[in-house]
Amino acid sequence: MDRTFEAQITAEGEWLSVTQVCRATPIDFAVVIELAELGVVSPRGNEPQEWQVSAREFARLRTAARLIRDLGVNVSGAALAIELLEARRELEARLVVLERFIQVSAGGG
Amino acid sequence: MEYRDYYQTMGVARTATADEIKKVYRRLARKYHPDVSKEKNAEAKFKEVQEAYEVLRDPEKRAAYDQLGNEMKTGQEFRPPPDWARDFEFRGRPQERAGPQSDADAQFSDFFSSLFGGAGSFSQAGEARGRGGRDHHARVDIDLDEAFRGGARTLELRRPQQTADGSVQMSTHAVKVTIPPGVTDGQQLRLQGQGEPAQGAGRAGDLYLEVHIRPHKLYVLEGRDVTVTLPIAPWEAALGAMVTVPTLGGPVQMRIPEQARSGQKLRLRGRGLPGEPPGDEYLQLSIALPPADSPQARAFYEQMRRDLAFDPRANFGS
Repeated sequence: MDRTFEAQITAEGEWLSVTQVCRATPIDFAVVIELAELGVVSPRGNEPQEWQVSAREFARLRTAARLIRDLGVNVSGAALAIELLEARRELEARLVVLERFIQVSAGGG
Repeated sequence: MEYRDYYQTMGVARTATADEIKKVYRRLARKYHPDVSKEKNAEAKFKEVQEAYEVLRDPEKRAAYDQLGNEMKTGQEFRPPPDWARDFEFRGRPQERAGPQSDADAQFSDFFSSLFGGAGSFSQAGEARGRGGRDHHARVDIDLDEAFRGGARTLELRRPQQTADGSVQMSTHAVKVTIPPGVTDGQQLRLQGQGEPAQGAGRAGDLYLEVHIRPHKLYVLEGRDVTVTLPIAPWEAALGAMVTVPTLGGPVQMRIPEQARSGQKLRLRGRGLPGEPPGDEYLQLSIALPPADSPQARAFYEQMRRDLAFDPRANFGS
């Protein structure tokens, strides 16, 4: 059965409550707290129960949850992997810029 | 439906021990994990491996699967035997927590569903009656232009559905999504109430979309900033010039300063992806040399050699 849903994006100023995050990921609240202690996410709000996570950091939590679940790494390991993966992504983008530059300079652009 | 050879998928012998299978799974999971892998088709491979492991790690499922024999090959047409797995316990346990996966975007094959029913990825622990629907996740690939302008997009999503007899079938449904301008690579978008419908009283789950922006032939994206390599003529670099440059919003005029160098980056503030604050566009200059492919051009280069006291290797010392 095919149905079409009209959907607007509700980004809520790009912040999500920690309850939503734990439900959506799924990730244990304790793991979110640990990742916050490790600096992987910096939620806003005073009490952990009131925390809100930005959309970008939500993506990090999803990655962390997947790494922990699928690869059996612990929270510190997931934090390290996320840091390195983001560094790799940055380097890759810079590499593409340099490759384009070389390509264009060689007359190939 | 098509048969799947789970032993072949994992590259283990049919006689492999549980411990061997676990080790191989760990190795393959690390190799193909979509978050870390650079392999081609990593995501599809990872799902195959997870599905195979879901069966081979569980002694009951593995024994039942082994009953099918070892005559068939992956891709061969397959129908489960009528009294399939009558004596095994995993039937009638549809609420069992699935093994390693739980995202609705990572469903197992029809082959798996037909054999193991609702014990696939999508049946996690939870009260069957009166609970809210689960959240679903999907990935959407868009072009940079779409990320810049935003726009409506219809997505075809496959989702598992429990039929009257308790088996699980995949159904396709369409979701119309409005992508906001300035969405960045890896960003999550939430569509409230578009996940799994509620069972009874609870509220429907949400649908999360992870946005991926396809690489562009001209622009390289970093966050909200874009970089373009801009070829310029030697006289434009030396004397300065007004040139027309491409931006996501259309061509604009830009001044090249005198004495511009190759590799230098010029910035067009606010010309990247929209946002708070908007990204910038960087133009990396690349000086293109006119070819010396005519007597006139050669004469011109000869004249430069004579008239310009220029040593490109002056920094090398003697």
